[in-house]
Amino acid sequence: MYWTNPLFVSKEECALKKRDTRDFLTFLGFILPGFIIYIFIVAYPIFYSILLSFSDYNPNIGGKWNFMGLTHYKTMLNDPDFWHAFKNNMIVVAVSVFGQIPIGFILAFILYRKQVKGANFFQSMVFLPQFLSMIVIGIMWRMLFMVDGPIARLMQSFSNDPTKQFTMMLSPNTAMIPVGIALIWVYTGFYMIIFLANLQKINDSMIEAAKIDGASEPQIFVKIIVPLLAGTILTSSILAIAGSLKGFTLIFAITTEGITRLNAEVLPIFMYRTAFQDYSNPMRFAYGATISNTVVLISILMILLSNFIGKKLGTHEEY
Amino acid sequence: MKLSKKVILVSLFAIMALGLVFAGGGKDTAKSSQVVLKVMGYGDNSNQEGQNFVRIVSAFEAANPGVKVDYEMLYDEAYHNKVKARIAAGDLPHVAYMGSDARWGGPWQEAGAQIDHNKYIDTNLFDLSTIPADTKDGKRVYLPLGTSNLCTVVFANTKLLKELGFALPKTYADMVAMVPAAKAKGIEVFSTHGADGWAWGSCIMSSFVARTTGMTDFPERLVKGEIKFTDPTAVAALDFLTTMVKDGVLSPNSVMIDSGTGLSNFSNGKALFYMTGQWDAGSISPETQEVTALIAFPALPGEKGTAGSVAAAKQSGYGMTKSAEADGVTDAAMKFLNYFYGAEETIQRVRDGAIVAPVIKVGLPSDLPTIVKAKAAFGGSGMIETQVIDSYLTGAPNDALNAGMQEIVAGKTTGKDLAAKVEGLLRK
Repeated sequence: MYWTNPLFVSKEECALKKRDTRDFLTFLGFILPGFIIYIFIVAYPIFYSILLSFSDYNPNIGGKWNFMGLTHYKTMLNDPDFWHAFKNNMIVVAVSVFGQIPIGFILAFILYRKQVKGANFFQSMVFLPQFLSMIVIGIMWRMLFMVDGPIARLMQSFSNDPTKQFTMMLSPNTAMIPVGIALIWVYTGFYMIIFLANLQKINDSMIEAAKIDGASEPQIFVKIIVPLLAGTILTSSILAIAGSLKGFTLIFAITTEGITRLNAEVLPIFMYRTAFQDYSNPMRFAYGATISNTVVLISILMILLSNFIGKKLGTHEEY
Repeated sequence: MKLSKKVILVSLFAIMALGLVFAGGGKDTAKSSQVVLKVMGYGDNSNQEGQNFVRIVSAFEAANPGVKVDYEMLYDEAYHNKVKARIAAGDLPHVAYMGSDARWGGPWQEAGAQIDHNKYIDTNLFDLSTIPADTKDGKRVYLPLGTSNLCTVVFANTKLLKELGFALPKTYADMVAMVPAAKAKGIEVFSTHGADGWAWGSCIMSSFVARTTGMTDFPERLVKGEIKFTDPTAVAALDFLTTMVKDGVLSPNSVMIDSGTGLSNFSNGKALFYMTGQWDAGSISPETQEVTALIAFPALPGEKGTAGSVAAAKQSGYGMTKSAEADGVTDAAMKFLNYFYGAEETIQRVRDGAIVAPVIKVGLPSDLPTIVKAKAAFGGSGMIETQVIDSYLTGAPNDALNAGMQEIVAGKTTGKDLAAKVEGLLRK
């Protein structure tokens, strides 16, 4: 122990301070460019959008910003179109979390355990949609569902009724079914790859030990693989929730303006229609910002809920 | 040693950075004396409009080395979205494709971006009598590509009609009489690209509502509140869709037919009549074009006045924005517009079917395709022109109307319920 006089700085302390300053400047040099880009491209638009949702400002017209309080949020909560889009979005989330992830997980397990021949081929085929443009995929699925299209022809063939058509997109109660099928087709491969990568990190000896003890493949899957990959399942769920709530392109491309798009409308499309197509509403940009901020809020709440459930189920535990 | 490594690394980084910043610097220096004209073009590389635009820009630049056209070309919804984004960002192009109605002109009008072209128009080139004013005080805020854009044209396959033993229908009852014979041959009587919601408003209902109400300006009166959509004469127009489905004239499946399929079906003789805008004439197959007649929708039962009317809107086209005046490039912009609207290009547009008739002073060649001549004759036949619905109605009411008409045809709602919904949204 020695007395430290603030007026007296030793040579070693001086050298340490110089190194710390240099390290700090180096640190700044690395993060500053990215941080500046983040501020302008991400943070500023978010901040602008939040402010816009509490105002009546129209960027096309310019002029003053007038504070509107929660007017737009109240309007949105009373708008039946919002609740219709919200319902459809929840369907998309459910399809993603309870469809894409389990199917992707099972496919990854099948490939990992070499339960099929030509694993590389199947892996490529399932992952193929990830290489395609979402617009191309959407148009392709739209053509599948069109009048006298392939699906209609199959229905006519099986039912022997030449007038049979695929009309699910024409009803708000069934429009999300073909959309859900398309979503599963597109995104299952993505989660399959995530699970496959994590499966390959598992120590084989645990599985071998289970096999020696007489465990079957389903038992290995349920009792060993799922608990080991619980963390990955949680992460995938968070990705699925965030992706589902901002999903726009595929549903926009599958549907056409009019009844099909209105029936399958999700919150991002509702926001787009409100903010960019409703010329009669001078406050459409502010209202669109309101919807957009609400999507983010819903996303945050659902992710927090996932984390909470994950903690309760022990997904953060180490094995 | 360490110091020299650092120097080498920093020098390499500096060279890379300078290279990125000044790449092609020689080329930029050569162009610094050029006027750069920012243009938003309408078209797609896969359609005639887009291909023509790109070709015209190249030819114009070659003929006018002092002007560089910095263009962005988009189509359909992508174009409308980019217009709104650029306006909101304050990045106005000097020249853009626009109109004066709600859909094509709304964003520009809202931003006060349109300018009066009267003082710039070359009256030696343009026939002002074919270019209506856009405002009550006579301003022309853009140059339409052609004369009125006929939106509710019925294309009739005269060869198929003759084979079935029918002539061009004068009344709706004539169309109903065709149903049994057409169904026996597996042909639809009446078709449209019903998957596109806007087509029901622009290409179908704009005609029907004028007939049932007897008003050429129903959309404008509706938006101003001078008439309600729940008026029985307006509801009658919506109910007529139900009648068409019930009579077998219109198939409920038409709400799933997109533009490509609809045109293909008509071209392949799967429909006797196809209702759409005049702009689709050039997309009908050449063989079918030779046997296609253009007519207005036949007389509706109980229609008032406006018999034989067709809904028409002022054709969209290119115009300068206030940015052209602010940046002092109006001369270059008008040079480009005059080139774009030149005789050769305009006649090609007539030939391609993109416009009905020119707005410039030019004689049309005698070797135009049959359907082009038919369009010009139809457009000049003196029929009553009525307003197009979505030139006045926008947003939620228009969306509800378009989707609602699809629901009527699909049997999911009635004219009365839809009219009440649209009226409610309009007055909210």
